[in-house]
Amino acid sequence: MAEEKFPINIWVNEERYQKLHEAELAHLCQEKLAGMKVIQVFATEAQKDRILKLFPTAKFDASTTRSIELLPRKVKDAIFDMVVRKKKVDVLEDFLNEYEASGGA
Amino acid sequence: MAEIGHGGKEIVERILPPGEAARAVEGLTPYPVRDQIANEVIDIAYGWFTPLEGFMGRADADSVIRKMELADGTVWSIPIVFDMSEAEIAEYGVKEGGRLLLTYQGNPLAILDVEEIWTYDMEEMCTAIFGTAEMKHPGVARTCGYKEKFIGGKVTLVNRPRINPVFEPYFIPPLEMRRRFREKGWAAIVVHQTRNVPHTGHEWLMKGAWAQAYGGLPIERPMVGVLVNAIIGQKRKGDYIDEAIILCQDELRKAGYFGDHNHMTSLTFWDMRYAGPKEAVFHACIRVNLGCTHHMYGRDHAGVGDYYDPYDAHRLLQSIPKEKLNITPVYSMNWLYCPHCGEITSEGLCNHKSEWQKFSGTLIRSIVMDGVKPPRLIFRPEVFDLVMECADRYGFGSPFVTDEYLAKRTPVFTIPPLG
Repeated sequence: MAEEKFPINIWVNEERYQKLHEAELAHLCQEKLAGMKVIQVFATEAQKDRILKLFPTAKFDASTTRSIELLPRKVKDAIFDMVVRKKKVDVLEDFLNEYEASGGA
Repeated sequence: MAEIGHGGKEIVERILPPGEAARAVEGLTPYPVRDQIANEVIDIAYGWFTPLEGFMGRADADSVIRKMELADGTVWSIPIVFDMSEAEIAEYGVKEGGRLLLTYQGNPLAILDVEEIWTYDMEEMCTAIFGTAEMKHPGVARTCGYKEKFIGGKVTLVNRPRINPVFEPYFIPPLEMRRRFREKGWAAIVVHQTRNVPHTGHEWLMKGAWAQAYGGLPIERPMVGVLVNAIIGQKRKGDYIDEAIILCQDELRKAGYFGDHNHMTSLTFWDMRYAGPKEAVFHACIRVNLGCTHHMYGRDHAGVGDYYDPYDAHRLLQSIPKEKLNITPVYSMNWLYCPHCGEITSEGLCNHKSEWQKFSGTLIRSIVMDGVKPPRLIFRPEVFDLVMECADRYGFGSPFVTDEYLAKRTPVFTIPPLG
């Protein structure tokens, strides 16, 4: 059985959509909630645990959406910037490694 | 007319008038209490905790822990205790039969008649109340943080709290609440427990419960109200700020999604224990005292992490006979957005299962944190605008609790000097 992966929902406003469009990633946006756009970055079980330890305000919504929520805005922005820079959504391992290497700066 | 509250006991406000209070506190040793105790002193004195007249002695606490009832058989699920260290007991000269003047914010708050000094095994208390003794459970951490001795005894308020702006209209103690219900002519009142700013899932939960509570009542005039009762107490970083919770709940009425004829917002001081099913029972007890006839329960009421099954609270409530807990639980399923229906609907109604878009308070907070405005079907625009206004006015730029908010916020209430 495939390992369950847990989404980080990065909600997409016009500004974010424009950046995704320029990175040719706009097609990866999904309509998620009554027409809202979202781009999802997925975490493995081990990455989920690392995230929850690194960012104590983050929460895994186990009961409803099974997504990782409440990451600080600047963390979401940094993940989004890396998605745009690398032109792919499979960036979480790189992001976590960079974040840990920088001492959380 | 006597107001009869939980356990068939009369609701009595244990509050001394100013002149009598000034005389009563003369010569008493002042003991400063922390936020949680100040909140509970106010709850006891105004009758939220009827039939409790003070902090529990060992017999009541032991009975609550073992049997989920007070020593006299009244249903009660969470011990209400006053803790002191042995060193403090010695320093303040606390003795059974004596009196202590409880102070808060440097001013007299209440008299505690010391009837009993007792101890309890904290692991046993935690396991019984929370179903675990793991310190990562916030209720366990709070309980295990209590000092080693407990003081049982009656509490009498000597100084009414001054409720600060924003919160003042929502401080409606049990006797006043019941008077207002009578004025409105409500025959049934269904209470919504919250620590959240409302999204439309909450709104439809309330509307569904309103319809259920209406039952066979006549329709010639409004006879059913929804009481939003916000829990105001210790905040955790990332929670919505209290100002946003209370004002945005009321905004549903002000913006017309409800009306004066069927909606009211209020607060109760309480530091959440996250005791899941046991806290669900406790919430029912205090809402009986407020005069409510029905109590809403969604999934995982007052839960935390995965300590409780989502419907444990329902099962525990169903096991309590109506004559012992005189309030009707209204259980609800999840509300969600269905793009096929184009509306908020319930798991129990809609059959477009593959299209369902589930959402939660956590997901909505996440959207707001990302700085994205949710669509009106998910979050009312008036409520969203008010959340942002609250961030500017009260939250130091954020609608969520931050270190700065905790350090600089205006307290919900102030205890003035004894006049």
